[in-house]
Amino acid sequence: MAKKNIKIPLLRKASKSFLWASMLLMVLSTIALFFYVRWLLEQEVEEELFSAEARIESALMAGQHPSSLAPIIEIKEVNELKTPFTKDTVIYDPSQDEMELFRELSTYKRINNKSYKISVRVLVVETNQILWAIILSYIVIIFLVFVFQFYLNKSSNKKIWNPFFHNLEQMKKFSLLSKEPIQLLDSEILEFSELNKEIALLTGKVRDDYENLKQYTEDVSHELQTPLAIIQAKIENIINDQTVTEVQFNQLASIQKDIQRLTQLNKRLALLTKLENLQFTHRENIDITDLVAQIIANFNEISTISLTFGKTNDIIATMDPYLAEILCNNIISNAIKHSAHKKPINIEAKDMVLSVSNFGLKPITNPQHLFTRFYRETKEIKSTGLGLAIVKKICDLYGYNISYTYINEHHCFSIDFGTTKPARE
Amino acid sequence: MYIFFLMKLLIAEDEISLQQSIVTYLEKDGNVCEWASNYEEAIYKVSLYDYDVIILDVNLVTGSGLEVLKQLKKEKKKAGVIIISANNSLSDKLEGLDLGADDYITKPFHLAELNSRIKAVLRRGKFGGDENIVFNEIRVDTGAKSAYIQDKPMTLTRKEYDLLLFFITNKNRVLSKEIIAEHLWGDNSDLADNFDFIYVHINNLRKKLTSEGAKYIKTAYGSGYKFTEE
Repeated sequence: MAKKNIKIPLLRKASKSFLWASMLLMVLSTIALFFYVRWLLEQEVEEELFSAEARIESALMAGQHPSSLAPIIEIKEVNELKTPFTKDTVIYDPSQDEMELFRELSTYKRINNKSYKISVRVLVVETNQILWAIILSYIVIIFLVFVFQFYLNKSSNKKIWNPFFHNLEQMKKFSLLSKEPIQLLDSEILEFSELNKEIALLTGKVRDDYENLKQYTEDVSHELQTPLAIIQAKIENIINDQTVTEVQFNQLASIQKDIQRLTQLNKRLALLTKLENLQFTHRENIDITDLVAQIIANFNEISTISLTFGKTNDIIATMDPYLAEILCNNIISNAIKHSAHKKPINIEAKDMVLSVSNFGLKPITNPQHLFTRFYRETKEIKSTGLGLAIVKKICDLYGYNISYTYINEHHCFSIDFGTTKPARE
Repeated sequence: MYIFFLMKLLIAEDEISLQQSIVTYLEKDGNVCEWASNYEEAIYKVSLYDYDVIILDVNLVTGSGLEVLKQLKKEKKKAGVIIISANNSLSDKLEGLDLGADDYITKPFHLAELNSRIKAVLRRGKFGGDENIVFNEIRVDTGAKSAYIQDKPMTLTRKEYDLLLFFITNKNRVLSKEIIAEHLWGDNSDLADNFDFIYVHINNLRKKLTSEGAKYIKTAYGSGYKFTEE
């Protein structure tokens, strides 16, 4: 049977089990107490009856004749002796004017050659009242103890677990991007203290690994540039030596193209690392619509794909001008690269939303991976696979919402410059 | 008024392969190239000789190229300086330019691009950016950003003008379409997976030149170009 995956807070869970255990204990102990006290009281009554009977008997033996005191004591002379018995009996009590329950002991004794039937009775009502009084006070006391315990437990639990909950919150807030080590509350409890140590160790390691990886990316992209420069310079000199064939020239030109791709890749990786390092702190008001118009003018010189720009209003965003240019450039060049059949691209600025849409035969198969590094929908188009990852990172940096939709055979990317978050310290 | 005079250049670069490739390329024009392979050598040569343009790597193996630049400015030398860096960061670029460098180029770069930047730095330094570059009957006025053929003004688009200047500064050299595209469009040149757009611009410029009898844009190896008299 599948267990329902419902999570209960620790303290509630602890209180709940305490509650159930206490309830069960209360009920069971009350029942036990009831039977025990009843048995005790019965014993007491019997003993009282027997001792009263013994006293009457010894009085009779001494020749005295105690007078009957119905219904408590009755002494009758009888002809024959019977076996003694005890029983419950209901007798009319004229003083109370009602029927009362009595416990009765009747014995037959032969004393001084006379046969007597001695009956001694005790009013049971009293013992019943005592029984109920005991049970009730027991319930009240145990309930009070229980309530007291419950709140005491709750508050002490809260105190004991406080460092744990605080640290849990800290861990939830933990971010690889912040340079500060995680702030954990120390506790006098050994296990919590150990847990803290492990958390500090783990987060420290994760952060170190992340830093190393970033540093590594930065170093690699940096170190690659000089060898690339050498290769490129040598190729240019080879081409100019006039000793190459046309085939060789074409191959060298193709190598140049690949070097350019590597260079682009390098630049973009370095940019991504810088974005992750939050190295762009400069902000100014940028007229996005103006910027887009400039970029479109540039692209019109390179590309035969027509770009139409419709704006209903200006979009002003507060961001780094360099990043603003990269953002707009990447989102438009992405559309140019992927526009099927070289159909026109529509760019629109409305309210605070910039949307770019290009014709596409079918929707993206894995839209959730669109902004992932090196994710390519097809291998046909030569790209670094980083353009949209950079777009996403820039949007994330400023809190702009970016969305992808596929409508009427068009891929549409929208950036909402209206959703911003405050600058990081 | 004239034109291409011989330059004296210093290439301060600790990667010998790259240094010698730059020297080879720049010496083709008959320029005098000297080189420095580390910081001390660069400081020594800079303080001893005068250069027209110094190409300075930021990371010289034993010291910073920016320190060489500071030294140069302290001694009030007139040389134009182009900084080469493997670091594409804006702050590096700004620091270099703040210290008085004339231009900044990031590795890897095309030698033709470096050459055209050197010429531009030289023009700015020697002639305040206002220079006429003459190639036979063609004259390019870099101050007014216009070109003349047999003293008749040519009507060129901005890209055609850039292209003509790039061709003339790299005359007699084979330029692949990749180099030209990168010069004209920078990072966006990878956008067009074929170079149709380059053909359009080059053909337009070529038509405007040949209509006046200037048939200097030659096709080299089928897909490259060369601006030459031959």
